Amino acid sequence: MRRMKWGNVYLIFVFIILYTPIFYLLFYSFNSGGAMYDFQGFTLEWYQEVFQDTRLLMIVLNTLIVALLSALISTVLGVVGALAIYYVKKRQVKNALLTLNNVLIVSPDVIIGASFLILFTIAGIKLGFVSVLLSHIAFSVPIVVLMVLPKLQEMSPTWVDAARDLGANEWHILTKVILPFITPGIFAGFFMALTYSLDDFAVTFFVTGNGFSTLSVEIYSRARQGISLSINALSTLLFLFTVLLVIGYYFMSRKSSRLYGMWGRK
Amino acid sequence: MKQDVIIRFDGVTKQYDGLVVLDDVSFEMEKGKFYTLLGPSGCGKTTILRLIAGFTEPTEGTIYFHGQPVNHVPANKRQVNTVFQDYALFPHLDVFENVAFGLRVKKMKEADIRDKVAEALQFVNLQGYENRRIQEMSGGQRQRVAIARAIVNEPEVLLLDEPLSALDLKLRTEMQYELRELQRRLGITFIFVTHDQEEALAMSDQIFVLNKGKIEQSGTPKDIYDEPVNRFVADFIGESNILSGRMVKDYLVEFAGKQFECVDYGFQPNEQVDIVIRPEDLEITAKDRGKLRVRVDSQLFRGVHYEICCYDENGNEWLVHSTKKAEVGEEIGLYFEAEAIHVMRVKEEDADE
Repeated sequence: MRRMKWGNVYLIFVFIILYTPIFYLLFYSFNSGGAMYDFQGFTLEWYQEVFQDTRLLMIVLNTLIVALLSALISTVLGVVGALAIYYVKKRQVKNALLTLNNVLIVSPDVIIGASFLILFTIAGIKLGFVSVLLSHIAFSVPIVVLMVLPKLQEMSPTWVDAARDLGANEWHILTKVILPFITPGIFAGFFMALTYSLDDFAVTFFVTGNGFSTLSVEIYSRARQGISLSINALSTLLFLFTVLLVIGYYFMSRKSSRLYGMWGRK
Repeated sequence: MKQDVIIRFDGVTKQYDGLVVLDDVSFEMEKGKFYTLLGPSGCGKTTILRLIAGFTEPTEGTIYFHGQPVNHVPANKRQVNTVFQDYALFPHLDVFENVAFGLRVKKMKEADIRDKVAEALQFVNLQGYENRRIQEMSGGQRQRVAIARAIVNEPEVLLLDEPLSALDLKLRTEMQYELRELQRRLGITFIFVTHDQEEALAMSDQIFVLNKGKIEQSGTPKDIYDEPVNRFVADFIGESNILSGRMVKDYLVEFAGKQFECVDYGFQPNEQVDIVIRPEDLEITAKDRGKLRVRVDSQLFRGVHYEICCYDENGNEWLVHSTKKAEVGEEIGLYFEAEAIHVMRVKEEDADE
């Protein structure tokens, strides 16, 4: 009993440390005093300011478009990649591919960002929307692969034999057996890619340019110019959006596992 | 009779990475019979099944289906369906969709699919389970779904890869009856793979006993049980007392230091042979009345009979199944008919061991 109690205290302590700054920021976004101390009164002024800032709204839109597009494209590429790795027969080749994939995930964003900057400069691609989108796709694909591959490995190898035995060709096997089964992994990969793209700062910071900007880069540059509580308001909105995404993902994954038996029926 | 041959293997060899799994195997299978491929694990029985199903191609030799070579015909183009050992049911589909899978792939009309699936489920006594998830079904029910999924495609040959091995004993016995019955009603060829000799004896029209990639013996269950061709088959099928002996002349064999009358003939004079006597053919008598005198070493009660282990004066072990009880340490006589002795030729490779 005693041990349980200390464990809980520790857990609560950790979560308080992690969440306090966020709630601090959130709290002062309602401060009419205009600073992050000395709470004077409740106001929605800063939120109003955010919604009147058309440049900022454009950036929000850009960020969402980049996130959705890069998540979609990288999900497609990642699923294909995971399938390719799954079908590699030689063990060493498979492990080598997986390692290459994982290195991309753990390597520092700064290095990825810098290397993309060099690549785009050499290739003559103008920094802006396209370069940001391409780099987001690039760092999202390995994540999708990592989310999808375990689902593929969960498949019993006899399912493919069984499908073929029942007259299925390769296309049927892919669309009627493999894809439906790994759908939860695909969703997980998509949402991971979405959140990674939404909150990426380092890579975007390197490869953006020509007036194109995303939220994280914008918040960073505004924070450097001087403190305005509209940044707090914006961060709060972002935080809430992320929470919504997490809740949305939770319900979707629950629903898809509940509907497991229904797929395919017209 | 010849046009009834549905599957023919002609000198089929299969190697995986240089390892020979099937070694120059030839056989024929007729339409509408229940065949069993029986053997220990690694004997190549599943490989034969995979070759027939088309999941793998032979390294050498030819497989004929209705007289046509089918070596390169892929699995999805063959009139053969398989019930897998782990059933291989699709967990993302319900029972109805699992059974309908093959029909949907063939783009059959929705109304026909409904009729056929309903009929197949009725065949395996699973009416009303259409919307169940696979995860909600018991092992025996999954087994039935797998059978329904296979037979709904109206195959000419149904392959069953140790389908009963995951079931408990009672259910397994029940399914043996059901499978046999199903085969009679459908009238198609069943090829059943198992390592369980009782299952093979109970269900088959014909058994192929396999060992190390070769067919050791093929025949009816009774042939194989009563007339095993060698030590391996005798040992694998049922329990048996196997001894080395010598054929003195026709109808006279010597083993355990004595000569006995027997019904076998056609051997060389003084040829080395193996003899088999089944434990149930041995009868316990008073110690002077029997053909052999043995000492009881241990005894187990098996329900239907006692399993008694004895040793004769030459140190040979004798296993006896008897409804009569014996006392451990007691000297008893063993009696058997001349017909109970089965004489087998010694295979060269066995003699080396």
